[in-house]
Amino acid sequence: MLTTTIFLPLLTGLVVLTLPHNRPDLVRGTALVGAVLTLIAAIILWVGFDPSGGNLQWRMTAPWIPAIGASYDIAIGGISLALILLTAVLLTVVMVYVFGERDRAHAHAFLFLLLGTGLIGLFAAQDLLLFYLFFEVGLVPMYFIVGIWGGERRRYAALKFFLYTRAGSLAMLLGFLALYLAMEPHTFSLPAIITAKPLAHAPLASALVFFALLIGFGVKLPIVPLHNWLPDAHVEAPTEGSVVLAGLQLKMGGYGLVAILLPAMPETVARFGWLLVIIALLSLLYGALAALAQSDMKRLVAYTSINHMAYVALGVAVAAMTGSVAARQLALNGAAVQMVSHGVLTGGMFLMVGMLQHRAGTREIDRFGGLIGSMPAFSGLFGLLAFGSLGLPGLSGFIAEFQVIGAALQLSLWVAAVTVLGLILATGVYLLLMARTLMGTPPPGADALTALSSREAWSAGTLAALSVLIGILPAVLIAAVDSATRILAQF
Amino acid sequence: MPEAASMSCMDLGAVVPEMVLAGLALALVPIAGWARGPWRRFPAWVALLGLLIAMGVTAPMLIAAPREAFCGTYAVDPFRGFYQLVIEAGAIITLFALAAHFRGTEQEAQAPIALLMASVGGMGLAAATDLGLIVLFLQMVSFPSYLLVLLVRSDKPAQEATFKYFLYGAAALAVMAYGLTFLFGLTGSLNLRIIGTSLAGADRAWIALAFGLVLVGYGFEMTLVPFHVWAPDAFQGATAPASGFVSVVPKVAAFAGLLRLLLEALPHNLVPWPAMLAIIAAVTMSFGNLMALRQTSLKRLLAYSSIAQAGYMLMAVAAAERTPSAMPAVGYYLVAYLCMNLAAFAVLAQVERMFGRDDYVAIRGLGRCAPWSAAALALALLSLAGIPPLAGFAGKVFLLMAAIAGGFAWLAVVAALNMALALYYYAAIVAEMYFHEPERTKAVAARAGYAWAIGLCTAGTIAFGAIPTLALSVAQLGSSMLR
Repeated sequence: MLTTTIFLPLLTGLVVLTLPHNRPDLVRGTALVGAVLTLIAAIILWVGFDPSGGNLQWRMTAPWIPAIGASYDIAIGGISLALILLTAVLLTVVMVYVFGERDRAHAHAFLFLLLGTGLIGLFAAQDLLLFYLFFEVGLVPMYFIVGIWGGERRRYAALKFFLYTRAGSLAMLLGFLALYLAMEPHTFSLPAIITAKPLAHAPLASALVFFALLIGFGVKLPIVPLHNWLPDAHVEAPTEGSVVLAGLQLKMGGYGLVAILLPAMPETVARFGWLLVIIALLSLLYGALAALAQSDMKRLVAYTSINHMAYVALGVAVAAMTGSVAARQLALNGAAVQMVSHGVLTGGMFLMVGMLQHRAGTREIDRFGGLIGSMPAFSGLFGLLAFGSLGLPGLSGFIAEFQVIGAALQLSLWVAAVTVLGLILATGVYLLLMARTLMGTPPPGADALTALSSREAWSAGTLAALSVLIGILPAVLIAAVDSATRILAQF
Repeated sequence: MPEAASMSCMDLGAVVPEMVLAGLALALVPIAGWARGPWRRFPAWVALLGLLIAMGVTAPMLIAAPREAFCGTYAVDPFRGFYQLVIEAGAIITLFALAAHFRGTEQEAQAPIALLMASVGGMGLAAATDLGLIVLFLQMVSFPSYLLVLLVRSDKPAQEATFKYFLYGAAALAVMAYGLTFLFGLTGSLNLRIIGTSLAGADRAWIALAFGLVLVGYGFEMTLVPFHVWAPDAFQGATAPASGFVSVVPKVAAFAGLLRLLLEALPHNLVPWPAMLAIIAAVTMSFGNLMALRQTSLKRLLAYSSIAQAGYMLMAVAAAERTPSAMPAVGYYLVAYLCMNLAAFAVLAQVERMFGRDDYVAIRGLGRCAPWSAAALALALLSLAGIPPLAGFAGKVFLLMAAIAGGFAWLAVVAALNMALALYYYAAIVAEMYFHEPERTKAVAARAGYAWAIGLCTAGTIAFGAIPTLALSVAQLGSSMLR
C-alpha cells in the first residue's frame, strides 16, 4: 500500500504524458484524479496506522543494490504519516488551483506528480541511499517548474536553487557514505544505523558527518547562512510552485534533521547543540526582520518561512541537549507539528498572494488596500491564514511554536526569550501586512478586483480549514506525531 | 608454469572476437572503395553483424576460468570479457549514429571499417599481458580513431583536429613505449605477471620513472590532465558521432589496459601509484569542470566534461588495490558513461545536421521543436551530473564509496565539490533547451540510426540507474582477472 502511495503520482504522470496534445482539460482532469487517488491512498495508510505500533509501520523491503547493502526499504511512523498526508493534500490543492491554467499542461502535470512521488518516497524511505534518491527526484522537477513557468528572473532563480540544493545534497551524500562505511557490515539501513549509532565514539568523524548532514538538510530548511536561494526561488516560482516549495520541499530538510540526523547521532548533535541553537535563533530573527523590510508580498511570505522553519532546527537542538525525555518529546512534537502547520499555512499564504497577483498584476503591498470591502471572501481566508501564521491560539501555528518554546524554556530562559522575540517580530510582520492590505482604502488608480472563483476558494479554503482543524483538535495530529517522537526521544 | 605456457601457445579460440572483426574490416576495405548508391550501406550492416557475433563470443568469457593464451601474452579472463563487451557495445551504438550521420555520402562505407579496426585495438588492449602487444594495440586503437576524426577530408576544422590529435598521440605513445622499455630493462621480461614478480628487487626510482612515462600514453587515451590537450580540439573538429566514439572507446580500452598493468605488473606498492593517481584524478576533474564552464561549443564542452568524468573514474582506479569495491565501480561507471555520453553526442549529431552548428543557440528551445531529442539530451546531461535515478548517479555513488573505502576521503570531498560545480554547465544546457523559445523551428533529422543510438543509450541510462544491479553484477564478474 505504501509503495502504491509513493508511485501513484508517478504512474499518473506517465499516463498524462501519453494523452493527446490538444486536450489540456483531459490532462488536468487526469492529474487531479491522480492527486485525489494519492490522497485516498494516504488516508488508507492513516486508517491502518497504529499509534502504538512504532515507527516502522506498513514496512516493505526488497533488494535494490544488494552488492552494496542498499535496499528498497520503506516504512512510516507518525511524522512520516503526517507529512505524507500533507503532501497528498497540497498536491490535490495545487491541482485544483491550476486547473485549466498554464501552458504545456502535460509537462506541468507530470513534473508536479513526479515531485509528489519524490516527496512521499522521501518521507517513507528507511534506507539512506533511497532517501538520497528521493531527495534529488524532488529537486529536478522544481528546477524545471521554476525555470519554465516562473517570473522575470526565473532562469537565474532556478539555477541558483538547483546549485544550492545540489551542493547541499552532495555533502549529505558524503555524510551518508561515511555512516555506511562506519557500519559493520556496511549497510544503508536507517533503523540499523539508528540502533547502532556507529560514529558515537569517533569524535572527528562524527563532527565531519554532522556538518555534512547539517549542510544538506540546512540548505533545504533553510538555515542562515544557507538560505540565500530561498527568496529568489520562492518569488520567481509560479504560485503553485511556491506552494509546493515552501509547503513541502522545506520539510525535506526538517524531516532529515528530525528523523535522520538526531536519531543517528544524538550525542554529536548535543555536542554541537549550542551552535545549532544559535543558528536557529539567528534564522528565526533574520527571517522575521527581513520579512519586515519587504514591500513585495511574495518575498515577505518567503522570508517568514525562514523564521517558521527555524523552530524545527531549534526543536531538534533542544531535544538533543536536554536530559529530560518529556522535554525532548515536547520539542520534537513542536518541530513536527510546525512542519505540518507551516506547510498548510504558508502554502495557503502563497495561494492568496498568487490570487492577488493574478488579478492586479502586482504583488507590491502599497498597491493594495481595503480588500476587506472589495473581496470579503478573500480577506476572510487571508486573515485566517495570516493569524495562523503569526501563532494565534486556536490555529495550528500556535500549537507548534508553543511546544518548542516550552521545551526551550527547560533548556535556558534566554533561548526561550529570544524565541519569543522572534515570535513577536513575526506577529508584527503579519499584522502589518493585514493592516496595509485588508484595511484602509484602495490606493488611487487601483483596479477593482474580482471575487474569488470557486477553484480558488476551494483550494485556499481547504488549507485554512485544515489549520483551524489542527488548532481546535490538535489531538488528531499530535496522536500520530506523539507515537513517533515517543520513540525518537529515547536515546 | 612453462608447460602450461607452451600448451596455451597458438590458442586461436582465444581471439575469435578479434579475428571476426579484424577479418571483416579487411574484407570490407575493397568493398568500401567500390560501393556506390545503396551499396554504401552494406559495410555498416556487415559491421553490425560482426559486432553482434563478437559480443556473443565474448560474453561467455565473463564466467570463464582465467587462463592465458599465446604463451602468456594474451589473457582470457572475465576482466577481458567485460571490457571487450563494453567496447563492442560502444562500437555498435556509434555505428548507428555514424550510419545515420553519413547516409548517402562516401563516408558511409568507410566509417565502419575504421570503427571496427579501432574496436579491435581497444579489445586487444583489454586482453594483452605483454608489453609489445600493449604498444601494438594502443597504436591500433589510435590510428583508426584519427581517421574517424578526419572522415570528412575537405573539412578544415577536422583537418586541424586530426593533426593535433595525431601529433599528440604519436608523441605520447612514443614516450609510453620508452617507459615500457624500462620495465623490460629492469626485469628482462615483456610479460606483465613476470614483471610483477621480478620488480621487487629493482630500484624504486627507476620503477617510478617507468610508471610515469607509461602513464603518459594511458593518460593521453584517457584524457587525464596534463595529457588531455588534444581532446577539446579533436572533439570539436570531428563530426559528433566520431567525437562520441573517441570519447568512449579509447577511454574504456585505456582504463582496461591501465588496470591490468597496475594490478599485474606493479603490485605491492612498488610505486606509490594510488597516491599519484589520486592527485591526478583531483586535478583532472577540477580542471575539466572549470574549463567546461566557459565553453560555447557544446562538443568542446562535452570534451571537457569527459575529461572531468575520466577524473571521477580514476578516483576508483587509485583505490583499486585497496578495496574490492573499486573495480566494479570503474566497470559500472564506464557502462554508464558510455550510455550517457554517446546519447549526448548522438543528439548533438542531430542538432549539427539540422543547424550546422553546435553552440547554445542551436539547441535553444529544442524542448519545443524536438521534444524527444531534447528529453534524451536532458536525461544524458542530468545523468552526467549524477542526478538519480539515472545511471550516472549510481556510478558516482560507487566511485565515491570506493574512494572513501580506499582511504581517499579527501578525494571524495573534492569529487563532490566538482559534481556540484559541474551541475552549473549541464543545467545551463538543459535551461537553454527548455527555458527559452526556439530561434527558428526546424524539424530534427529523424533517421532510424539516430533513433536506435539515442534509444539504446537512454534505455541504458534509465534501466541501469533504476536497477544498478543489472550492470553492477556484470561489472563485478568482470573484476576478476588473471594474476
